[in-house]
Amino acid sequence: MTLFETVFSGNDAVYGLTEGAINAAIEQHGADKAISFPNTAYSLPCYYAVTGVKVGTLGELKEALGVVKTLMTREMRTHDIFMSGVATALCAEFIEVLKYIDGAAPYEEPCYGHLADAVIRELGVPLVTGDIPGVAVILGKAPTTEDAVALVKSYQAQGILVTLVGDVIDQLAEAGMKTGANVRVIPLGKDVTAVIHVVSVALRAALIFGNITPGDAGSLMKYTMERVPAFVNAFAPLNDVIVACGAGAIALGFPVITNQEGVSEVPKSLIVQTDVSKFNATSLEARDIKIKITNIDIPVAFASAFEGEIIRRGDMQVEFDGSRVDCAELVQTVDASEIEDHKITVVGPEADEMELGSKNSIAYVVKVAGKNMQPDFEPVIERKFHNYINCIEGVYHTGQRDMQRIRISKDAFNAGFRIKHIGEVLYASVKNEFDAVVDKCEVVIYTDPAECTRIRHEVAIPTFDKRDDRLKSLTDESVDVYYSCILCQAFSPSHVCVVTPERLGLCGAVSWLDAKATNELDPNGPCQVITKERPIDERIGEYEDVNEAVQKFSQGALQDVSLYSIMEKPMTSCGCFECICGIEPFSNGVVITNREYAGMTPLGMTFPELASMTGGGVQTPGFMGHGKHFIGSKKFMKAEGGIERIVWMPKELKDTVAERVNATAKELYGIDNFTDMIGDETIATDPETLVAFLTEKNHPALSMEPMM
Amino acid sequence: MPFNQKPQKFNANINTVEIGYGDKAIKLGGECTFPFYTFDAPLENAPKVGVEISDMGLSEIPGIQKFYEGASTMAEIAKKAEAMEGADFVCLRLEGGDPNGADKSVDELVAVVKEVAEAVTGPLVVEGCKNVEKDSELLPKVAEVLQGKNALVLSAREENYKAVGAAAGLAYNQKVGAESAVDINLAKQLNVVMTQLGVKAQDIVMNVGSAAVGYGFEYVVSTMDRIKGAALSQNDNMLQMPIITTVADESWSVKEAMASEEDMPEWGPLEDRGISMEVQTAAAVLASGSDAVILKHPQSVAAISKMIKELM
Amino acid sequence: MALTGIQIFKMTPKKNCKECGCPTCMAFAMKVAQGALEISKCPHMSDEALAELSEATAPPMKTIKVGAGENEYSLGGETVLFRHEKTFVSKTRYAVSLCTCMDDAAVDAKLAEIQKVDYDRIGERMHVEMIYVNYEDGADKDRYVEMVKKAAALGRTLILGCKDVEVAKAALEVCKDGKPVLNGATAANYAAMSEVATAAGVVLGVAGADLNETYDTVAALEKAGNKNLVIDATGTSVKEAYANAVQIRRASVKDQDRTFGYPTIVNVAALAHGDRTLQQALASLFTVKYGSIVVMETLDYAEALPLFGLRQNVFTDPQKPMKVEPGIYPLNGADENSICLTTVDFALTYFVVSGELERSGVPCNLIISDAGGLSVLTAWAAGKLSSTSVANYIQENVEGKVKSRKLVIPGKVAVLKGDIEAKLPGWEIIVAPLEAVQLVKFLKDLTA
Repeated sequence: MTLFETVFSGNDAVYGLTEGAINAAIEQHGADKAISFPNTAYSLPCYYAVTGVKVGTLGELKEALGVVKTLMTREMRTHDIFMSGVATALCAEFIEVLKYIDGAAPYEEPCYGHLADAVIRELGVPLVTGDIPGVAVILGKAPTTEDAVALVKSYQAQGILVTLVGDVIDQLAEAGMKTGANVRVIPLGKDVTAVIHVVSVALRAALIFGNITPGDAGSLMKYTMERVPAFVNAFAPLNDVIVACGAGAIALGFPVITNQEGVSEVPKSLIVQTDVSKFNATSLEARDIKIKITNIDIPVAFASAFEGEIIRRGDMQVEFDGSRVDCAELVQTVDASEIEDHKITVVGPEADEMELGSKNSIAYVVKVAGKNMQPDFEPVIERKFHNYINCIEGVYHTGQRDMQRIRISKDAFNAGFRIKHIGEVLYASVKNEFDAVVDKCEVVIYTDPAECTRIRHEVAIPTFDKRDDRLKSLTDESVDVYYSCILCQAFSPSHVCVVTPERLGLCGAVSWLDAKATNELDPNGPCQVITKERPIDERIGEYEDVNEAVQKFSQGALQDVSLYSIMEKPMTSCGCFECICGIEPFSNGVVITNREYAGMTPLGMTFPELASMTGGGVQTPGFMGHGKHFIGSKKFMKAEGGIERIVWMPKELKDTVAERVNATAKELYGIDNFTDMIGDETIATDPETLVAFLTEKNHPALSMEPMM
Repeated sequence: MPFNQKPQKFNANINTVEIGYGDKAIKLGGECTFPFYTFDAPLENAPKVGVEISDMGLSEIPGIQKFYEGASTMAEIAKKAEAMEGADFVCLRLEGGDPNGADKSVDELVAVVKEVAEAVTGPLVVEGCKNVEKDSELLPKVAEVLQGKNALVLSAREENYKAVGAAAGLAYNQKVGAESAVDINLAKQLNVVMTQLGVKAQDIVMNVGSAAVGYGFEYVVSTMDRIKGAALSQNDNMLQMPIITTVADESWSVKEAMASEEDMPEWGPLEDRGISMEVQTAAAVLASGSDAVILKHPQSVAAISKMIKELM
Repeated sequence: MALTGIQIFKMTPKKNCKECGCPTCMAFAMKVAQGALEISKCPHMSDEALAELSEATAPPMKTIKVGAGENEYSLGGETVLFRHEKTFVSKTRYAVSLCTCMDDAAVDAKLAEIQKVDYDRIGERMHVEMIYVNYEDGADKDRYVEMVKKAAALGRTLILGCKDVEVAKAALEVCKDGKPVLNGATAANYAAMSEVATAAGVVLGVAGADLNETYDTVAALEKAGNKNLVIDATGTSVKEAYANAVQIRRASVKDQDRTFGYPTIVNVAALAHGDRTLQQALASLFTVKYGSIVVMETLDYAEALPLFGLRQNVFTDPQKPMKVEPGIYPLNGADENSICLTTVDFALTYFVVSGELERSGVPCNLIISDAGGLSVLTAWAAGKLSSTSVANYIQENVEGKVKSRKLVIPGKVAVLKGDIEAKLPGWEIIVAPLEAVQLVKFLKDLTA
């Protein structure tokens, strides 16, 4: 039988039953007999939510059944399956409401049947907050009682709300397992139609928490799809009625996972998992449910208070040192099917197999998968490793990439801390902090020296090289969007940084990749996407879209900015810039000074004096704050001629940036050792001496077009 | 040549948020000018003054003791607070819930809320204990027990906005306070995520943080100035929520209002110092754009309400 | 439209002669653009350039100086409506009022009381800076003059509230050296009053029945050559005073209407006569919204503590945080054996932390080292709070004075613990919780 035939036949069967039941009830009680579920203001909640019509009597119920009939179209489209599923669910609701006629109490311990509005309001809050990360609907009879108990317990441990329909209720009772709303395991009823009581919860949640207008079926299904993280586990054997009900669940966005072989699968919606012990993992992945890790399972404490701890040689059990032996730390993006979430493997000896005080190799590869994961985020995640590992009590970490050093203290070791626990920490921290992009995470830790050598040279270093190449090839032209950064607005209310690949934030701490990751991880946070589709002036780097963004994020204080000019509409400065660059009129160039340099500059102003004039989010033509790294950029005041204009820098700064500046000067202008032409405080701190020096060196700025 | 007046009326408004029910309901916000700029355009609703009471009972301040004389239960205290001259609403603060303080149970506090809610007929504001974990457990229960009262629940914060917002704003139809730490972007971000959660912008009142005057109050002034500026001149609808400020709490906990007369004989009576701190802080936040202030001393309530009346 | 530093620089002689006090013409131009220097400080500027620049760089609101010697105060000179745009430059000054309607005993009592409030708050002396001496029509002239004399003896800057030309003249005779304000010009008497004020070399206060009359009177005074003015914005009601103060400021700063480009006086003593609590509310209101001088009936400690604190907050550079002096601050009766805690010199951090520590009741020494006035994380990120800065400060300034060797460091810089330990042998370094509110419990547990 095809899925169509199964669903249609199940639907028809249920419809027939419902029709018969309603007719029989009318015969017995009359059409005016009132019907209702107890303790709800939503009539027959499912029918009301879908149609907007309240049903109060048997006569009206009969009319409603006529409406349901119209949903039961029989063409061979997916839509017909869904609608028949919805029709089946509504029929189930009708059958269930008949049970409550005359104030009857059709359900008895431990079954709940219909759930009151108050329960939904109470459960709705933790559902919205994610404290209840999902709702499992378990239907039928598990292969064994043990399977049933194990599955329910696995959900319970994750905080997932479990509802039960059918024989599984008896299986749990048999095993003596406690059920009830207080333990978040709710047996609904033994008939398959009892499943409607959980659907009723989902739909009323949409009305209460989603402000959905009853009858707006489109919004209703969108809400349940996006906001109600429910899924169905249906045990074999499935009959047509169950499959038809399942179609209803799928229509609401709830995937169905079954161990029934031979069912035609629908990707992400109807999934066959023959191994019942994997129902949990399969369901969570299908419904996209992420479980927050609140407790890291390690024998020592984990807190930022331990971040500054230093383990001295005498207190050390073992150490790992990338500067002496082969080590590496790496994040790898992989496909979800390649890894198992929370799997931690140690390849090689554990800490207790290492000699006291010995130096060893270590390489850990954190494999991550996620729909929103991008290789560009790998270094962003990797950079946090230092912080994560340092927060472990009794463990100390410095360095990065293949140069990290880790020490484990004797105390931590004696408390039972082992290398695998580093994996636990990395797993939990990455999953928690990067949950917006990481869906699954697996950690492999190598301590076998040969393996470490292999990982370092064959995996890690090539990856690092690739990333470095990517960074070099990232230019303002090669990307489609820039990012805003308004982290500093607390101090500089109107300041907005426009972060581009070649112009990092002026604090020096936010690169384009960082901004991109920040945006992805916190979509309402300080970094927002800025498009660059409508250029106004390519020379100075002015875009309509950038201007609009700046206007918006500065609350109208700034109208327009250029990305590459210091004279025309220069970007504003907050106050946390690493460097300030200012026009030096006598040499026709610019002077750069940095925060660390306290002395006088040829501008006649020190860093603090310049800072007070250029900070605060105000445009000051001729002056601009920027990051150190920007000095070597080809976009550095490109509109005025670029780095060729630099005539003076403090010596220390000059030495720091020399390599990049010289390379850029060579590439752009064919000048060798350009920094030798640039003055510093050992040469001049007044304009006259500086100009004499520049003349002697034949600095190119002297003969360039005047800047003003 | 006479003075050429240039009124600055904006084509945007602060949202009007109603709290309470029946005849005694009050409206916060609604203005389209900077604070009390009645010469630019008439002010929609006068800023409101609330009276703070606490589950921990009455403060030792003689003037407060005297005012509430004879009131021994929370219900009696609440009734007197409601009748205070100049009071527009009552604010019940559940400070006893603080796990680092009295650590009262949620049930115990909810019982207090119920008692107070049954005693007063005017608008009610309920403030949690400020501990985010406890509040995320407590405030949903508070919202539940206040069903039908259209109360304002303070506050949802970045850490617990989902629990508080979903319960107060969605499940039980109350108004929700959105509290952030003296920063326009944090305030806006919280409003954005709250509305994404489904809470209607019209159901949100901001508590953008405060300080007593002298204690970093410049951030308060600038944050409020900027929020009102963006809300009115930029028509930024994620900043158009009215602002409520918990002045009593900030004012009575600084040194000037706490140092004993033995320690600081030249400073004069402690009560006078507390009132001064409270009144001056309240006037300053109102001048910066707050749409409601919460005070506790009867003398402060009377003076601030008088100032508001005179400015209208 | 204000000129940029570059535009101003173009008009300088570009000689770097340093005669203006700046090392370069560029530095000079930048300072002028900022309003920190006047263009006339350059001796080599051409007349046309000077004229053009003076006009363009002249502030929309005049800076008016009152008082003499150490009691000289600048009023006005504001350039913005909101402090986040740029610093409010001239602090609101508070005056306590005396009146001919008071008997001698009351006057003496008030003068005695005025002197009581005098204290230091974050490096600033706080005291009643001005005395307003009000002359009620028909009062005895000699008695007024005596009262002025008595008030002048306190060495505070006086404001003479007097609309009677002859009385004003007599009063000025006894106090003009102190450069008081003569607040008495109206549409009816402005010409004569202006003469009296000009002759005595003092600032003249102008009031009108409404804003239009005030405007016309100021215009007439300016026409007559007197631009040494302040505007009395008080009017007859709170609502009117507020409308006046805001509109005068807005007209001058936003709409560039120079006629209203003067500082304002708001007499809340007159607006809320006898209502001490309301007067405080109004003093606070007009400190935030544009009063240059606020006149009150009393200003005792209870009133002064918040008011001066508010003023100190509002009149700060929005980009530069307030700082407290580095040092050892013993709290709750701490002695040399009490535990030490350290944090940064950012005033807000200091107040929050010291407040919590006081609340704990645990005797402790709060150690503040120089961190550039930044908050903990900002200072750490900027390198102003480091293991070296903390260790050096402790070794140089604390070890000799304190015997305790327990140091609590801010939770946000737990990362410094190891380094500080290494640099401060003999000290036990303890990491505090992340938030100040957790300090009370933390300290109690620690010392339990």
